[in-house]
Amino acid sequence: MVSTAGENAAVYDVRLSSVVPASITGEDKVHELCNMDLMLKLHYVKGIYFFRSGAARGLTINDLKKPMFECLALYSTLSGRVRKSEDGRPFIKCNDSGVRIAEAKCSKTLDEWLAFNDDSLNDQLIYSQFLAPDAGFTPLVFVQFTWFKCGGISIGLSWAHVVGDAFSASHFINMWGQILTGQVPPHHLDTYNPKNQKKFPSPLAKVPLSIQRVLLDPDGGHWLLSNHRKMRTHSFHVTPKQLNRLTEEAKLLKPFEVISAMIWKSLAKTSGKAEEPKIVTLISGTWDKENELPSNSRVIISTIEAAEAPPAQADLAELARLIAQTQEDETHLVERVMDQKGSDDGESRDFILYGARLTFVNLEKMNIYALKMGGHHQPVFASYSVSGVGDEGAVLVLPGPPPGTESGEDEGGRVINLILPENQLEELKYQLGNEWGIH
Amino acid sequence: MLQSLITHSTTQKISLLESNFWITLLTSSPSFKMPQRSPEFSGSVKLKYVKLGYQYLVNHFLTFLLVPVIAGILLELIRLGPDEIATLWKSLQFDFIQILCSSYLIIFISTLYFVSRPRPVYLVDYACYKPPVTCRVPFSCFMEHSRLILSTEPKSVEFQMRILERSGLGEETCLPPAIHYIPPAPSMEAARKEAEMVIFSAVDTLFKKTGLEAKDVDILIVNCSLFSPTPSLTAMVINKYKMRGDIKSFNLSGMGCSAGMISINLARDLLQSYPNSIAVVVSTEIITPNYYQGKERSMLLPNCLFRMGGAAIFLSNRRSDSIRAKYRLLHVVRTHKGADDKAYRCVFEEEDPEGKSGISLSKDLMAIAGEALKSNITTIGPLVLPASEQLLFLISLMGRKFFNPKWKPYIPDFKQAFDHFCIHAGGRAVIDELQKNLQLSAEHVEASRMTLHRFGNTSSSSLWYELSYIEAKGRMRKGNRVWQIAFGSGFKCNSAVWKCIKSIEIPTDGPWSDCIDRYPVDIPEVVKL
Repeated sequence: MVSTAGENAAVYDVRLSSVVPASITGEDKVHELCNMDLMLKLHYVKGIYFFRSGAARGLTINDLKKPMFECLALYSTLSGRVRKSEDGRPFIKCNDSGVRIAEAKCSKTLDEWLAFNDDSLNDQLIYSQFLAPDAGFTPLVFVQFTWFKCGGISIGLSWAHVVGDAFSASHFINMWGQILTGQVPPHHLDTYNPKNQKKFPSPLAKVPLSIQRVLLDPDGGHWLLSNHRKMRTHSFHVTPKQLNRLTEEAKLLKPFEVISAMIWKSLAKTSGKAEEPKIVTLISGTWDKENELPSNSRVIISTIEAAEAPPAQADLAELARLIAQTQEDETHLVERVMDQKGSDDGESRDFILYGARLTFVNLEKMNIYALKMGGHHQPVFASYSVSGVGDEGAVLVLPGPPPGTESGEDEGGRVINLILPENQLEELKYQLGNEWGIH
Repeated sequence: MLQSLITHSTTQKISLLESNFWITLLTSSPSFKMPQRSPEFSGSVKLKYVKLGYQYLVNHFLTFLLVPVIAGILLELIRLGPDEIATLWKSLQFDFIQILCSSYLIIFISTLYFVSRPRPVYLVDYACYKPPVTCRVPFSCFMEHSRLILSTEPKSVEFQMRILERSGLGEETCLPPAIHYIPPAPSMEAARKEAEMVIFSAVDTLFKKTGLEAKDVDILIVNCSLFSPTPSLTAMVINKYKMRGDIKSFNLSGMGCSAGMISINLARDLLQSYPNSIAVVVSTEIITPNYYQGKERSMLLPNCLFRMGGAAIFLSNRRSDSIRAKYRLLHVVRTHKGADDKAYRCVFEEEDPEGKSGISLSKDLMAIAGEALKSNITTIGPLVLPASEQLLFLISLMGRKFFNPKWKPYIPDFKQAFDHFCIHAGGRAVIDELQKNLQLSAEHVEASRMTLHRFGNTSSSSLWYELSYIEAKGRMRKGNRVWQIAFGSGFKCNSAVWKCIKSIEIPTDGPWSDCIDRYPVDIPEVVKL
């Protein structure tokens, strides 16, 4: 949420408006939500991009909004609103309501802001609203443009996970960037049709470990999660050198698995024997094309169980190998849960995925630095996060700034975004700094 | 489905009677039905031929009178024989002076006749403003903004939703950028920006279409009812296009939706005084400063209906323009009902109890509009109706006066006088009411309905969008007559009659060029939001 005027309010003068698709979507166009969409409905993807003043030179807010109209003409679902069908299942009515645009100013310069190194501050740069309590009239996507004192600009994207995964969000904003710089958008976007639809027998063979049923406050309209522990976010930067050291130690050349192992081990150490996370969830995606409609169909969910040795004492190499080789794919199981009826009637149909167990999200292949303004200006820094995360926390592994950007060194760095309970986060910071020199 | 989501407003009782009244008043005319087919079909066909015969007889009465006279003369001449005619001719003695005087008299009378004839006023061409897609406001977006702005007034939001559902507007109507904000940000600068956007765009298109240069404009008239800065919008145009120092400029403000016809009337009168002149008329309405931000229902209606639009018209009395002009102005009739207090107050700009200013529409609006229309028709009827209709109307009038007041008043068939009708797209009820009163078919009012759907109520410029629709559909032929009727605050009913003097090809540019193929569109009674 954006802070209102106060003494320390760095972001001020927030103005809201809406942007709608440039062409009519037509009457009665609906987008049916698949089981995976509904499973993820309580989560929101947040993205932030920072640009130097050269990128936005001479661009007014109308120049920034105009490409959005054309962009939305391709993504009719994003402009829609949630409705409930007769049997209570939500769907999206593509009624051209549009996305919400926020414009704001910041009294700090870009460098000052980045120097804070406090991720919770970024909430001020990303205007967002939960779909509760008025889901029928709340936008699914919010974009905030904030101008800094030095002329730099930040773009904050808030994206309801029910529409698509983090990759979809990134593709959408990249498409906007392309239209902004004058490229001709494609005529239409393709839909992803997964080929293999395994059929499972009616009774659920196994209960999926990665999700958790939650009981929501009915006043929240079943779209708002409340945490029991106070969650905080923090971002670590792993330089290519540090990454090399890690992969050598783990004897495995897969950065995501190694980093996950490192975090798992450190968290296990800090939380003590009782609360040690024995089972963790891995979320990854298999996107290869950017010109596709947003969806959650490419999300792959797997669980890893540290059955033999407790992770706190395990070797980094062992843990990394465990992660790389013993993933149990639960994607279809998770989807089947939404279909369950009969004895489950009356039970809550609301679930969380991120944070039900300690969740590691592989976003290494996300093309976040492809968003260019003014033709060739890449972001100084870009990052993604997830909100509405459960109490076990989530870890997002993103690509680091590539060479060519200001802070980019050689290829291969990583940015780790953590959303964890406050106390765990403090301990972890100490651990990572001490053992591996990661800050 | 929607009701289940608006949890707080369903628990409050709206004064259903009141809202229903407003809705039926301004959006749909429930009493209107399509004319039924008579069961005695053969009887009505016979009647039709009788009617046709009667019309031919009365309309060409003079011709019919002349026929026996010419026949008589011819017979007489034949009877006399050529020799007799020759002697008759020689017997006429013409003095030189007599001949001279007679010829002078004839020349004098003809000169007097030609000089005192009013100068013809030609409409060379016109251009309508097409708002960019970035100003588009779909229903759902408008409603969502309303809910957020009036979050403390669910009753008013519910009211607006019902109006919008029945308004006859489509999903492509446009509002200026300042009104897209939550809450709207109407500043004078934003209003000026909108004025520049609309007026300059329309005038640029007009200049490009006609090859007219700014320095050739002799008369400039701008009418915009609700935004009147200093210097005027006319001065803004003169400044932008660097027009001549001796230009005659007029800025009409506060005259409502019928100001477009008033401007045309003014231009015509000026073109009588100034020979060989060009007049440019710009009709528009600037929405930005007038978006009502309060909760009074009588004042929320204009928010739902008024949309961005503007038109620029090139008029001339130069002979050289008569060749390329599209239309010639035949008549302008202005009727003002302001002397009646109720009519004066029926569209009234005032402040609501909270101090927010807006335009309040009274419940007598349709009745007063009907009265104003009647006055206008009574004045224009004798000017345009063929003699057959006028005779019938006269007979019916005299019959009602002297014999039996209970006779049904004869409504002249205006379809015989005009080929096309442009009824101001003030709202669905206005169009329905006029269709019923003038007994027009669906095709006659199609231009008005489709303009309301595509562009909304653009106030004084809506008549030009409707004319543009008729041309885009290829229905305008040389010799066709068009009747433009506009209603506005005051209460005024102004109309103009044009005659098409050039065959018009379907335009490739213009506000309808990209969507004309989708029209006509079937507009449902109630749109589900």
